[in-house]
Amino acid sequence: MATKYGGYCGRVLKINLTDRSVSDYPVSDEDYRNFLGGKILAARILYDFITKPIHPLGEENVIVISSGPLNGTGCPSSSRFNVSTISPLTGILTSSNCGGSFALSMKRAGYDALIITGKSEELIYLDVTSDGVKFLSAEHLRGMLTMDTQKAIGGAGSKIVIGPAGEHLVRYACAVSDDRAAGRGGIGAVMGSKNLKAVVATGYKKLNIKNPEKLKKIKIKWTKRLTSHPLTGEQLPKLGTAALVASMNQKHILATKNFSSGRFENYRKITGEELAERFLIKNKGCLTCPIKCARVVDLDGMTVKGPEVEIMGLMGANILNDDLHEIVKWNYEMDELGLDTISCSGTIAFAMELAEKGMWDSGLEFGKKDNISEVLHEIAFRSTERGDKLADGSKSLMKLYGGEDFCIQVKGMELSAYEPRGAVGQGLGYSVANRGGCHLNAGYEVVVEGLGLTINPYTKHGKAQIAIMFQNLMEAVSADGSCLFTTYAFFPPFLFRKPNSLLSRIVNGVLPYLGGALKIINKYPHLVHLNIPPMLPHPLAINAATGMRLTMGDMMKIGARGFNLERIINTRLGITEKDDKLPKRLTDEEQIPGDKRTKVPQKVLKKDFYKGRGWDENGFVKKSTIRYYGLDKLDNIGQRQAVSSEG
Amino acid sequence: MVKVEFFGLYRLNYGLKECSVEAASVKELFKKLYEMNPVYTVKELKNSIVFVNDVNFLKLKKYKTPLKDGDKVLIMSPASGG
Repeated sequence: MATKYGGYCGRVLKINLTDRSVSDYPVSDEDYRNFLGGKILAARILYDFITKPIHPLGEENVIVISSGPLNGTGCPSSSRFNVSTISPLTGILTSSNCGGSFALSMKRAGYDALIITGKSEELIYLDVTSDGVKFLSAEHLRGMLTMDTQKAIGGAGSKIVIGPAGEHLVRYACAVSDDRAAGRGGIGAVMGSKNLKAVVATGYKKLNIKNPEKLKKIKIKWTKRLTSHPLTGEQLPKLGTAALVASMNQKHILATKNFSSGRFENYRKITGEELAERFLIKNKGCLTCPIKCARVVDLDGMTVKGPEVEIMGLMGANILNDDLHEIVKWNYEMDELGLDTISCSGTIAFAMELAEKGMWDSGLEFGKKDNISEVLHEIAFRSTERGDKLADGSKSLMKLYGGEDFCIQVKGMELSAYEPRGAVGQGLGYSVANRGGCHLNAGYEVVVEGLGLTINPYTKHGKAQIAIMFQNLMEAVSADGSCLFTTYAFFPPFLFRKPNSLLSRIVNGVLPYLGGALKIINKYPHLVHLNIPPMLPHPLAINAATGMRLTMGDMMKIGARGFNLERIINTRLGITEKDDKLPKRLTDEEQIPGDKRTKVPQKVLKKDFYKGRGWDENGFVKKSTIRYYGLDKLDNIGQRQAVSSEG
Repeated sequence: MVKVEFFGLYRLNYGLKECSVEAASVKELFKKLYEMNPVYTVKELKNSIVFVNDVNFLKLKKYKTPLKDGDKVLIMSPASGG
């Protein structure tokens, strides 16, 4: 296998755990150009394998671990890899992005992606090197926590591991790599179902870069831009994502008491500022990251990873807990057990409300914190009836005990800590996101609806188009191997440095009314035939690394291709318009009683979104849209005879 | 006295969570804060996100927003994450 492009290894391996065979999956240069890498390339591969509904924890499920062309190039914040599979939590496609060092090691071993199929008879881990793949017994790792597992494997390789939660098929079990997590959708459970405790990659190959001198210049300017931007150069390094808590509370966006409110009376005790003052040892970044948003904190004498904003909100305000020490502790415990912090917290909050309403007495109560650690352990090991039920997620609980209107999930995935009645565009995003109630795949519109920028959070104007544009942008940036935080530099710094200036206020006021212009760009992204390096340096870096000739428009088109391809896979798995919905609490009940603006106008926004996306009223991707993105003639890559470089 | 709370970079750089200040307007408050601790000039403080009794001061009279005894003012820096 080979590729004419730099930045890629030109090899994708298919690893069958059942018969322990390994073969090349013949991805072509055209595939690299059209699907780039990461979650989009993974969707392209899964399109070949997943043609009908499957049992996510059955042998037929497939895991794709993929990198992007910027991984290994030294570009700023370019260490992200992706894991995609069919989620046991939602039954549809999930893709989870993770930092750390694994992407670099996998590429140094010589592979752009690993496709894992079948099921091992015994618990094993994979040792992936440039010489091939070894299937090694993991019996000695059984039951181990995630950090212990990585230490026990040892060696110089980078690891993706699961904890007890993955082994016990908790439907929202995550996979952990270094101290980062591929959190959402139950990837850890799928690994567990395949008796796969870990994947280790080790390599020393040098990556071919097409134009190293040009790339070096781009990297210098890009790094400078990130380190001088108010968000990526000041706020995130100094306070991490947790800095958002106070701002979210102020804007009625902080999910409180299972999303029954957007403000928490005791929010001051659980802010990022408190975290910095009471627990922070230092900030930390993934490989090549100048932002360094991660927190390293002191927990009773232990040095551990600190919580992100999502867990500060969901294990704080959302369960009426104002004890930051407990949040830091639970965050550590969930990471070690291998639980997705967002889904686990959301499920606990739902159980608390069920208990409050007398629908299921699990012993979990709002404001009660003394039994949470015990419950986390019970979930990860499914060791009690309570833990076993909670391990299946909130939608499963809802089927047992009711509470559909306040079961805060979409397509089975629990929402993040952003209360969408205080940012209705974010609400739209949650409802249509491909992996379920995910704030990032939603388009993360809340960032312009009150957090970073301050456009009207309640207006319907332009929200669908902004969501589509951000979704496309984030899909493409994720696919190239970059951290999504690099997209914050998309916004000119003055909007953050001078938020009260006339110009900033004009931008914030006008943005929702640019829906018409955004609509044209979203529909025909190729028309944006230019590059604006300060806004989006990614295509220039990709071009220098690979030899491609991408523009901003090409990036958005690749992103849109990815989003539509994911939707097509989901519709194969039974998703329709009926599934694109928020719980009634968020669409029918006013967050602030008497203020009609404070609920998500889902019907109108969804109609705009479908139209803008080129989907029909039932939520299916229209044929014309499929043709525009070149998704109408996809062959089965695995059935190709042989592929050589086109160059 | 007006109760002032700091969040984000303002809190880190001032090194304090809150203080009480005698001021009749936001503009005067900024001046007093500068006199108390010259970490930020009045011009720089004008770029902060300010809430007066939970209302963004852009929706009030901006720097001319009057303050009275017992008012609560929040001074924040723009934030993002995810």
